[in-house]
Amino acid sequence: MFSTEDSIVAIATPPGRGGIGVVRISGASSLRIAAGILDHPEPLRPRHATYTRIRRNGAGPSDEVIATYFPGPRSYTGEFVVEISAHGSPVVLRGILDRAVAAGARLAEPGEFTLRAFLNGKRDLVQAEAVADLIDAATPLQARVAFDQLEGTLTAQIGEIDRQLFDLIARLEASLDFPDEGYHFVEPAEIVRRIGCVVQTLERLLASAPRGRLIREGATVVVAGRPNVGKSSIFNRLVGAERAIVTDVAGTTRDLIAERVDVEGLAVTMVDTAGCREAGDRVEREGVMRAARAREVADVLLVIIDGSVPLMSEDERLLAETAARPRVVVVNKVDLPPARDTNPSGSHGEPDTAHPTTLVRVSARTGAGFEHLRDAIVAGLTGRESLRDPAMISNARHIALLEQARASLVAARASSEAGEAPEEILLADLQAARARFDEVVGTRTSEDVLRHIFERFCIGK
Amino acid sequence: MRFDVIVVGAGHAGVEAAYAAARLGCSVGLCTLSRETVAHMPCNPAVGGTAKGHLVREIDALGGLMGRAIDATGIQFKLLNRSRGPAVWSPRAQADKQRYALWVTEALEREPNISWIFGRAGRIEVEHQRVVALAMEDGDRHECRALVITTGTFLNGLIHIGSEQQPAGRHGEPPSREMAISIRSFGFEMGRLKTGTPPRLHRDSIDFQRAASDGVFVEEPGDEQPVPFSFSTRAALRNQVRCWLLHTNDAVRDLVRGNIGSSPLYNGQIQGIGPRYCPSLEDKIMRFPDRERHQIYLEPEGLDVDDIYVNGFSMSLPREVQEKLVHALPGLESASILRPGYAVEYDFVQPTGLRSTLETHRVGRLFFAGQMNGTSGYEEAAAQGLMAGINASRAARGDGPFTLGRAEAYIGILVDDLITRGCLEPYRMFTSRAEHRLLLRIDNADLRLTPAGRRLGLIDEESWARFEARRERHARNLDTLNRTLVRTSRGERVAASMLLRRPGERLESLMQRGEVALDVDGVTRDLDLASIANEVKYEGYLKQEAARAERMRRQERRRIPEGFAFAQVPGLSREVVHWLSQIRPETLGQASRIPGVTPAAVAVLGVYLDRPAVARRLDQP
Repeated sequence: MFSTEDSIVAIATPPGRGGIGVVRISGASSLRIAAGILDHPEPLRPRHATYTRIRRNGAGPSDEVIATYFPGPRSYTGEFVVEISAHGSPVVLRGILDRAVAAGARLAEPGEFTLRAFLNGKRDLVQAEAVADLIDAATPLQARVAFDQLEGTLTAQIGEIDRQLFDLIARLEASLDFPDEGYHFVEPAEIVRRIGCVVQTLERLLASAPRGRLIREGATVVVAGRPNVGKSSIFNRLVGAERAIVTDVAGTTRDLIAERVDVEGLAVTMVDTAGCREAGDRVEREGVMRAARAREVADVLLVIIDGSVPLMSEDERLLAETAARPRVVVVNKVDLPPARDTNPSGSHGEPDTAHPTTLVRVSARTGAGFEHLRDAIVAGLTGRESLRDPAMISNARHIALLEQARASLVAARASSEAGEAPEEILLADLQAARARFDEVVGTRTSEDVLRHIFERFCIGK
Repeated sequence: MRFDVIVVGAGHAGVEAAYAAARLGCSVGLCTLSRETVAHMPCNPAVGGTAKGHLVREIDALGGLMGRAIDATGIQFKLLNRSRGPAVWSPRAQADKQRYALWVTEALEREPNISWIFGRAGRIEVEHQRVVALAMEDGDRHECRALVITTGTFLNGLIHIGSEQQPAGRHGEPPSREMAISIRSFGFEMGRLKTGTPPRLHRDSIDFQRAASDGVFVEEPGDEQPVPFSFSTRAALRNQVRCWLLHTNDAVRDLVRGNIGSSPLYNGQIQGIGPRYCPSLEDKIMRFPDRERHQIYLEPEGLDVDDIYVNGFSMSLPREVQEKLVHALPGLESASILRPGYAVEYDFVQPTGLRSTLETHRVGRLFFAGQMNGTSGYEEAAAQGLMAGINASRAARGDGPFTLGRAEAYIGILVDDLITRGCLEPYRMFTSRAEHRLLLRIDNADLRLTPAGRRLGLIDEESWARFEARRERHARNLDTLNRTLVRTSRGERVAASMLLRRPGERLESLMQRGEVALDVDGVTRDLDLASIANEVKYEGYLKQEAARAERMRRQERRRIPEGFAFAQVPGLSREVVHWLSQIRPETLGQASRIPGVTPAAVAVLGVYLDRPAVARRLDQP
């Protein structure tokens, strides 16, 4: 997979039938391979859409196609690329693919086109990863964050931090190697100040990391409550479909039901669970246990309470149990006359100030209050941060590396403040931080990491 | 005559090569123009300095000459970077240049395996792509099994003083032309470099007393307790001369600017590239116009000579301008010039044509070492000479190569940099070139290298016994620190090593308070203590560094077969294939350090090398 000398081919559009299907060929001999497929006597004009036909080959399928030729290095992969757009029939596309392979192309592996772009220096690692994120994006917000990274905003930020750091390192190295030049290349106070600046910039970048991860990876919201408070009805309203079976029989939902939805741009996995109660049959007991486990992994819990009846002991136990978790207490059935003591915030108030309980009143039947509920979910996930600010960094790999870099820099700052550690120790920390930056953008990356990154791509990209 | 090894040139590279090969049991022919210039110091009469001092300690740890020679003949000693950490401490010494040369000559003469060949080396004779003999310009011919060339600045050397030009390798010595032609004939890539030296002044023409009391000269004292270069030095070293610091002034600046047109460096007469970090006076004034003044040191060249070396004042301006410049310096108004400064241009061989043994790729058993490989400095030359001498003797006897890694020694870094990156300007060692600097200290050079030297056969019984005792003492001292309980300021009792890890705690004060007793001896007491304290205090950093070094070693162990055709690897760009084929790295690690070879290309190469040979054949484009 790490070879780029041969030419590779793949169907770049999703499998199945479609209006248009695209076959992409990349490599030194892509033009020759295309010439063997296309019934087009003249050479393809660079960067022009050429209307032509597939050369008939015995009983094989033919089609009219648009072929576009991108000479390297001004192409996606940096190599010679030909893209053939045909009608989106799997048979036709398969036929083109077979002809390309017969002409000497090799079937591309997942992510190989982007890998070649990386190997050929067209994109750095951050950008290559952003391509995968962009393709995987399920919400507009995800797409936007991925696109920013593809454009190189993160690369540029890291580059700027790295430049500041490099300048400081160069000065410190100079003072070690030219001790008798009679002047300081950088004063001790200046060292502390400069490292401080770098740490600050890095921390600003990392501040958006939780938000970035949330946007990129999405979140899990678990609907919990005792039986028959309307969990599944609320779940169905939130996912916008009659996904869970709703009856008035307590204990209808037994297994976990999960559905992915876009909540204000966040990719949220909603999970409906069995109602919490003792006993039931063996199947239901298993369901209750699964519900408990689901509650543990939830990023936000929706604790549902039936507002039309007084609180029951199961309600109270659940409220107490979840008090320290990020949660939204949802009082359902507000379309019915309220029971007097259904305000749970009084008895099970705010023991944990980190996660103040939000109370939302809804009616799953009429849909009242769901706007507030969605807002409360987003607020619970983001800690009330605005999602409109761009998240610079979202990939867990980048975040982990930058956290390591930050730790090294903080150690360097501490030792230079104390004025104790010799400069070469300080430099060891600064160099370690730089090495992490190199790993993020891929100027220093092991083969294993590269393999891992490009494995998650789809074929044809 | 027939020798196992012939060494051409008896400068700092040549003498180490000859000595090492002789100690390893080879018959050695040492070819030089005259006994007078053996181990000569044509420029600064000093040994060591940052990173260079490390090289000397390593040469000594491997049984070489330089450390012992400078300890025996040094006249002022100083440990540079003392205010910093032990990893960048580096000894430097003023040498008595005559005594230094004499000491080395006598050491060589005591070796029964070494024979002198006086004369001018002319031509390298090769059969079946392997060295067979050295032909002298006068027609003599000496057969050999291996040949080490260390011709320094002699290949087509050309000296410039103003518009005066004189073919010479060094002041007053004719250059090597036939040898230059012979080397070129094998197709080695060659280039031209330049270096320079300052004027020498007569000691008696300078009124040091008055200039010092006027405050224009500031004494640069040596260390009270000098740290020796050699692990074998036991007697305390003594400072016997005074060195002085002074500064250039506006008159110097104006003179240089006014006469810049007559500087061969600035009027196009010199094409060779000079060292950026050791700039000539012309460069200092012209390239750093903002700096008001530059440092100049006055350094005696020996106890029995009158020459004063004007460090920092190297130039190639005409004699009469040099005269005016010297007299413009405060305190030197009536100084007389014994020899003017000059610039010398010389051919060098691009060292990318060498293996990690310093044997050439093109001709078997032919080794190049020293300044001709594009380096500057006696220490860099000596280090290469030692490695070339060891490997020439091993090649002569059919033994495998001996190399040092980047995490083992500055010598390893030096050779690796040269053969993977080549030289665009004279190469000088710096501590910043070492990616595992914390591990490569002057205090542990023997722990790092002496066992290897012993295995080679370079360390005699006496030195080995001394080394073993010292290694044991070091381990015992560390053990003592781990086991001795001491009282903290808050009254707790902790191991001394734990206490030392806290900020502000110093080993010296613990010892002064009598809380810990360590076994450290006379001349190297300071160094040993610092080494122990450092190892305890920064244990975490050292462990991390060692782990990183081990990861790098794994890359170094992935060997690229001899004569490997890089063009067959699918996925390497033409440019990368070009550089790899040119430089012929021996390991994946070396490949990764070649400029222009991207990390991605290294990954491609790594994957390819791991594949079974069958798959290799199938994947032809």
